[in-house]
This record gives sequence, structure tokens and C-alpha cells, in this order.
Amino acid sequence: MAISSARESLSHALTNRFLPNLEYLLQGSILDSAVEHLMHRLKGLCDNVDTSPEPFHDLEVCMSLRQSQSNQPLLLRVRRALGRDAPFQMRYLGQPEVDIRRPTLVRSCMDCACTNGILDFLSEMGFRLEFEYIAKGYMFRKGRMKITVSKLIKIVPGKQQDMANEPISQSYIVELSVVAPTGQENVGEEMRVFAEQLKPLVQLEKIDYKRLGNLP
Amino acid sequence: MGVTVLQPYPLPEGKSGAHIIDHLAKRLLSLGATHAGQFLVDCETFISTPQHGTPARAVHVLHNSEYPASTFSIIDNGNGKQVALVADSIFDLLMLKMTSTFTSKKQTKIESRGARFEYGDFVIKLGSVTMMEHFKGILIEIEYRPCVTLSYCWEMIREMLQGFLGINVAKEYPTYFTTQTIMNAMGQQQLHAKQNDIYEPMDTVKQYLEHFTNYRKHVQIHGAMGGGASSVGTVGGGGPGGVLLPSSVGMGGRS
Repeated sequence: MAISSARESLSHALTNRFLPNLEYLLQGSILDSAVEHLMHRLKGLCDNVDTSPEPFHDLEVCMSLRQSQSNQPLLLRVRRALGRDAPFQMRYLGQPEVDIRRPTLVRSCMDCACTNGILDFLSEMGFRLEFEYIAKGYMFRKGRMKITVSKLIKIVPGKQQDMANEPISQSYIVELSVVAPTGQENVGEEMRVFAEQLKPLVQLEKIDYKRLGNLP
Repeated sequence: MGVTVLQPYPLPEGKSGAHIIDHLAKRLLSLGATHAGQFLVDCETFISTPQHGTPARAVHVLHNSEYPASTFSIIDNGNGKQVALVADSIFDLLMLKMTSTFTSKKQTKIESRGARFEYGDFVIKLGSVTMMEHFKGILIEIEYRPCVTLSYCWEMIREMLQGFLGINVAKEYPTYFTTQTIMNAMGQQQLHAKQNDIYEPMDTVKQYLEHFTNYRKHVQIHGAMGGGASSVGTVGGGGPGGVLLPSSVGMGGRS
């Protein structure tokens, strides 16, 4: 039997819809003073896995490539775990769709684990640094849903590892997301029901970035 | 995972690629090797449209069926700097997002495919190289699995190669291991001998890329066009009536 090429198996995964390439997302925020209550609620609601809640401390670097045929540059986000040896994660995110009929924001999404040469590789391809920040917080899961409660930290250029970097605000960002293959519309409903259970501590919503564009 | 050496097999005048592969497969089987599936290594190159001031960059994207979940890429920035990357196979889809900057040179898509054999601690792959369905040559991959440093096992690999290929293999380490350059702390390129380094899957891929690049440059088309790939499926079955070489070549002991 002839062996199939990598390209063939990838298009097979796409056409048969088992390649997870859509992200369903709800976002919200909570003040530092109330975050303990949310953590307790999440511990109670989420799957009781050994490592729950799992702490993380990641540096995210967003790189952009100008494309000759479109005004929008191509953005790729590279995440690296600080203080732990893990593969770098590269992520492509498409334009978010905010459809009133859907309970969540939906955007195309591709996650790709890479070796640590990725930033050098992208720079050689012509990508330039767009922005970077540190996200530090906890991850919970409930079935296939992922819930993160994290603090966003501003980076003083050249001091990525420095503890002196300051938080962007006095609150935590809360994200509820699922990455699923195309055609699984019931995911959104599942997420809406879960988000209801976190009220009134945190209000998880579809955030339309285009409308935030005018903010300072 | 062990150490892998890639060896091109010279095509004698008037013999087809299929014929040689068939012959080598029979030699391996009569040595006692067992047929263990198929393999495929492919390479596609994307070239950037040169912008003012910057030279064209090439991104080589390779796959190796031995590591089916990974995509290997090597970027060449046009100024002699290379960066290698191993990523999940979804990286292929990301490359497609950049088609307006990096265009695939479809006519240079090249692959080596064929039968895979196991013989004790060795894995041997008989690959016929084709570019756009045109047969280009034979590449033999040999891996010695218990060891990860070439200098400790090169003699053994060499002996094995000479034994079943029936050709003389130079005593020196293969050029891939002796001619690598690395960037030193001062940012200068310097020669680095790799035979004492720990071998990585990327090294196999880089060896393939070196040979593929040579085949691409090499415009000469051998007489055995299109014959290579199709024969591979029958290797191992190799029923009676197949083309046999003259007995003088020696089929592993049979006279």
C-alpha cells in the first residue's frame, strides 16, 4: 500500500472535519479584590483533575508580516512558558465574527507547537515584532472548555524575565474558550450555559474588537 | 532514534532505477533483513518575492514519514544564514496563509519514496527520488538505532553499507557531518564538525535537503524516467519472472 503524504493527511483531516480550527470565545474581567471568589467558584464547577487549577506564566510575542496583496498584515502569536521547559506555541487567529445569532465570538484558529528557533525563523521570513506581554494566571477545564483567569503584564523592552514588569490594570482577564472542528455549533450553547453559572461574579461576553479600536 | 547516513547510489549506465532498487531489495532480503513498510520524504520550496534591498528568501518545507506529526522547515535568508524549525504538521496550513509573500515553486517539488527494511539494529530505506514524476536517482538511508553519535558508529554503518551495496564507501565521515557552519558568540560563521554531536531528526532532514538541492541543480535526465516510483510497491513480493541481474553480481551468498 502506498504511503500518503503529509499534505494528503492534512487535507483529509480538514475535509472530514476532525482538525480543530475554530475558536469559540467569551471574555470578561474581574477586579483583583474579587478574584478569590471567582477562583473558588471555578474550583467547584470545573473538572477535578490532579493539577487543577493549573498555573501558567507565559510570554506572548505577536509578530506581523506585511502582505503585498492585502492591507491587513498577517499576525502570528508565539507563546513561551517562562520558568518551565515546554515547546513554543505558535497561534494564528483569523478575523473574529460577532454574529448576534451565535452565543459566542467565533474566529478561525490554528495552533502549532514549535521548537525554540521559531522567533528567529519568523524574523528571517520578514516578520516584525508587533507587541508583547506576559500572561500569568490559572487554567481550569470543564469537559472540552478551557477557562483561564490571568493577569496581563506590560513588558519593559529588554526585560522579559524581570519581575519588576507591571500589570496592565487592577483586574484579571477571564476567558472561556473551545477550539473545535468546523460544524460543531452546539459548542457555543454549552459555553453560554457555563458562563451563566459564573454570573454575577463575572460577565462573559462576545467582545467586538473592531468597536474597541477607537479607545486610547 | 539513532544516527542516520544518507548515501546516493550511483546508477550504472544502461540500468533503470527500478531495476537497481529491485536488486538491492533482494540483496537485503537474502541477508536476512525484513521488509517493514514504506517511507516517504518530501520537500517543497517557497520563495519570497524579493523586495527592495533584501535578497529572495527560500523556505524549504519537508516531511518525513518516520515522524508523521511533524513538519520540518529550513529558511535560507539569501545571505547564507539558515534557521531550522520543527513544528506540528499544521504548519503547512500556516504556510498557505503567506502565499502572497512566499510562493511555492511547484515544479521543484521533490520526494524520495520506497521500501523500508529492518535488519537487527539497522533500518535501511531504498528511496527513489522523483521530481515532477521524473526519476532523478537513488538515495539510500541507513540508520543505526542504538547510538546517537556518529563518531561512535560510523565504522559499523560504513561496513554495513559496503556489505550490502557492494560499493566502496570512503573512510571519512560523510561531508554533511564535516562541513557544517555554526554561528559563534561573536556572530561569525565558523566550521563545526558534527560527528560528535547528538544526532537529531533534523539532521536527517537536512541531509535530504542537501541531496535534493543537488538533484534540482542536476538537469541531466537518466534513461529510467518514471520507472523508479512504481516498482517500489512490488519490492519484497518480488515474484519469479522479475528481472534478475547477472549472477556475477552475487545475490548474498547464492552463486
